[in-house]
Formats: sequence, structure tokens, C-alpha cells
Amino acid sequence: MDTKETAFQPPKAPKAIEYRTPFLVRLWKESFGYLLLLPALAIILGLNLYPTTYGIFTSFTDQSLLDPNHYNLIGLANYFKLFADPIFQLSFLHSVELTASAVLLQVLFGLILAHLLIQRVPGIQVFRSLAMVTWVLPIIAAVVIFRFFTLPNYGLFNLVLTQIGLGQWTRNWFGDENFAFLVVLLMHLWRNIPFYAIAFMAAMQAIPQDLYEAARIDGATRWHRLIFITLPNLRYIILVMVVLHVTFTFNNFDFVFLSTGGGPVNATEVLPTYIYKQAWSGYALGYASAGGVVMLIVLVILVTICRRVIGGYQTE
Amino acid sequence: MKFTHRLIVYLGLAVFYLFLLGPMAWLVLSSFRTSDSIQSGHIWPAFSEFTLYNYIEAFKLNNFPQLVGNSIFIATSVMLLVVFFGSLGAYGLSRFPLKGKPYLMLASLLPQFFPYVLVLVPFYVLMSNLSLVDTHIGLILTHTSITLPFALWMLTGYFNAIPRELDQAAAIDGCSRFAILFRILYPIALPGLVVAGFFAFVVSWGDYLFVSILSQSEATQTLPLGLQSFLQSLQVKWGLITAGTVIAIIPTILFFAVVQRRLVAGLTAGAVKS
Repeated sequence: MDTKETAFQPPKAPKAIEYRTPFLVRLWKESFGYLLLLPALAIILGLNLYPTTYGIFTSFTDQSLLDPNHYNLIGLANYFKLFADPIFQLSFLHSVELTASAVLLQVLFGLILAHLLIQRVPGIQVFRSLAMVTWVLPIIAAVVIFRFFTLPNYGLFNLVLTQIGLGQWTRNWFGDENFAFLVVLLMHLWRNIPFYAIAFMAAMQAIPQDLYEAARIDGATRWHRLIFITLPNLRYIILVMVVLHVTFTFNNFDFVFLSTGGGPVNATEVLPTYIYKQAWSGYALGYASAGGVVMLIVLVILVTICRRVIGGYQTE
Repeated sequence: MKFTHRLIVYLGLAVFYLFLLGPMAWLVLSSFRTSDSIQSGHIWPAFSEFTLYNYIEAFKLNNFPQLVGNSIFIATSVMLLVVFFGSLGAYGLSRFPLKGKPYLMLASLLPQFFPYVLVLVPFYVLMSNLSLVDTHIGLILTHTSITLPFALWMLTGYFNAIPRELDQAAAIDGCSRFAILFRILYPIALPGLVVAGFFAFVVSWGDYLFVSILSQSEATQTLPLGLQSFLQSLQVKWGLITAGTVIAIIPTILFFAVVQRRLVAGLTAGAVKS
């Protein structure tokens, strides 16, 4: 009996031969992926996430650049002061205005330029390859280009105005309270429209041509095809570009600081330049950090709005 | 019909490109003019007014060669570090089963959206604690940290698009895991690596904000800072300023000419649904 029962048992693997990967080898094998990511993550988190968290903490203190090692926790005092500060309110308004108008106009003109760039006319390749050249320039170079172009006495823009009989319009565009903001906006458009156009162009080329063929057979006009085929297919890339540029424009410090410094008389002051000055000229690190935290919150709200308005791509 | 269509397209393109390239062309033209010629108020100069004087003078400005040297050194180092660490990380994210991968991706991409001015203050304190203020290493690390998130994100997309069968075949043939990255993935993802490197180079080359805080002497100043101080101190010497700007632009334009075809595909990787 005993022998019969045991005969049906599966043979036991002999223990002596069983191979177990040594612990260290196993650790090396399993953690290899993490080890690859470690240096990059350490640099990114160590130099970005830590300072940001610390910055949020600083916003609740009265830390000063003059003596950064001694500070007191003062709760929300910086935030109350901030919301009562008229120049902060003004910069806040300017930042939102600049971001909204720049991004809206960039999408609009980006679509128009993309539509021109997908046309198959001779020499179009040259236009395509030249397009993004403004985007790769250092922002200081863009600022020099625009300041030089709009110089009051011998900038090309004013010279041309004089030549075509609009001499009374010539002015120092960056120094004029009414126009400085407009020139800053123009620099943003100048730099980024080509990037939108090229990205939209790539997405337009990926739309299957038979969709357009079918629409044509059904008697759709050009306008219908744009509204019902092109735009819905571009929704995702538009969202990506808008989120990227809302962030870029809202956070951008260089254009304003290098071209007007926020002037004349605060006409172009935006949040990044105002906060920068509070920290490095006013030495008020805590106060400046509170401004930075407000920016972070506004940015989250703006990006969420963009996703709501343009989004819905996840359900597709 | 065909003729009018072309005419409209060319007219539209002319308007856009006049706006985009006109101001730039004016700067380049003026950099070859004498100061008197620039201030004469004539749009097109006489032939005798063309000169290389501005460029020669720009290089004679006491610290200009050093600015160029610093910019090249810092931007090139950033480019190499970003491509190296970015591709290592992307290899890990793309090819190995990591726990909490979406969170790792998010944590590495999120800093891209933080306001720089908020980061700046603690950043300065951190760098001064590490004694890295006013050093090349400090600037290189800074620029690496702000460009790495994008490179990591983009390269992960690139690696994901390469079929895994390739690595498996290589592994069967006895390729080590590092060799798979360097000998299989690198050559295929080369366009992606070039775009990631280009992006890092351009951001580092053009950065003003971080350099203005972390660089405190001429030893570490880069071109954007130098151009800004020219702009303030050489008020009327527009010949010198324009020549300096053209010199600052040239490396990015040359690099751009090389990567131009790949740039868009790389910058919007994953954005265009396939």
C-alpha cells in the first residue's frame, strides 16, 4: 500500500542541486532600472523639488537676504501684505493679460501659418526649414533685436514710418507707457508663433486625407472641413502647446526684465520681475516667496482651465 | 485658380516672414555698418560704409573672449550631461519594470512647471551652502537640472518607440545591459539624443535668470549677462552691441541648421497622436 501511494507522488527535486541567485546578484539585477534613473532623479528632485518645498516654507517667514539664517515664522502675514500691495495687483493683472493674449494670438496665428506651410507650392521647404529660427535665439538676443529695431531716431521701424508719411507716429516704443506692453507682447508672438505653426503643421499632415475626400464628396465647404475635420484632429496638440506656453509666458522673466525692466512707471511689470526685485533688490525673501507661491497656485488654476476648455481628449 | 492660390499663399508667407526675419536681418545688416552709418538714418548704406570694424572691436572688449569661452564651456557640458543622464534614466523608465513608474515620471516632469522665481531664493541658499556660487560647476548643475526633465520625458518616448525584440535579440547574443543601451538604442535613437542635446544647449546658452544670481564675477559670466551689461553701458555704441549679438546668435543658428529637420518631431514627441 505504502509503496503504491508514494508511487503517485511527483518526484521531489533534490535539494542539493537547487540554484538560488546570490542575494547581491539579485539586488543588482532587480534594482538596475532604479539605479539607471537615480542620477537624473537626484539632480531633478534635489535641485528643483527641494528648493520649491523650501520656498513654500519661506513664504511663511520673514527671512531677509541680509541675514538669511535668522528668521521668524509669521504665518500668513506676507500673503495679507501681498494682496494689499497695489503694484503686486498691477503685476498680477499684467501677467494674466499677457499670458492670455499671447497664447490666444499664438494659437490663432500659428494655425494660419501652419495652414500656409502645408500648401504644396514651389520653395515651401525653405520656408519650413527657416521657420523656427526665432525660437532658438537667446531671449537677450531677441530683446536686442527688438530694441534696435524700434530705436527712436534710427530704428528701421521708425524710419519706415517716416518714409511712408506716418512720421507723427514715430516714438521710443519701449519707453512709451501706452505701447511698451504691446511691444513685449509682440516679442512673445515673434518668438513662439513659428513653434506653434510647425507643431500644428506636423499634426495636420498626420490627418488621413480620405477624411477630406469623403467630406468633399458629401459637399462640405472649405470652412466646414476646417471646423469639423482639421480642428477636432488638432485638439490634442493645441492642448499641449497651450499648456506649454501658458507656463512659459506666465513664468517668463527675461523678456520684460531685459527689455523694459518693468517700466516705464510699472507699465510692463509682471509677477516674475516684481518678485525678483522684491527678493534681490528689496532683500525680502519671505515676501518674494509668498509671491512665488501665489504664482504657482495661479498657474495650476490656469492649466486646469485650459484642460477643461480644450481637453476631453482622455475620453476619446 | 492655381495661380491665385499660389499668389495668396506667397503673400501670406511674405507677411509672416517679414515680421519674423525683418528685425533679425536689420540687426545683421547693421552689425556690418560703421556707427556713423547706423546713426545716419539711411535704411540702405553706401557700399563704402560696410565694415568688419565692429566685430574686431567686440573681441577687443576686455572680457568678451572670456564670455564666449564661458558660454561654450557651460552649454557644452550641460548638453553632454543632459544627454548622458537623460538617456540612462529614459532607458530605466522604458525598459525595466519600476514600481510607481507614473509617479516617477510625474515627479521628474513637474519641476518644469514651477515658477523659477520661487525656486531661485532657496536655490541660491542651497548653492551657497554647497560653496557652488560663482563656479562653473554650480551653473552647469543648475542648467542640467532645469533641462533634464524635458530630455528625460522626450527620450523615454523615443526609447518606447523602439521594438523590444531588438534588445532581446541582442541579449541572447550576449549583449550586456549597458551594451544594449550604447550599441543598440543609441544609434537608433540618435535623432532624439541630438534634439535633447540641442534643447539643453539652447536653454543653457540663453539663460539669463539663473546666471544673474549665481555668477558674481567675470570668471563665470556668460554671453547673455555680458550683452545685458553692454546694452546698459555702451548706450550709443550700437555697432558693437549688434556685432556682439550676432556672435552670440551664431552657435545656436549653426546647431539649429544641423538638427532642424528633427527638431519638431522631437519637441512634440508623443504629442501628435499616431
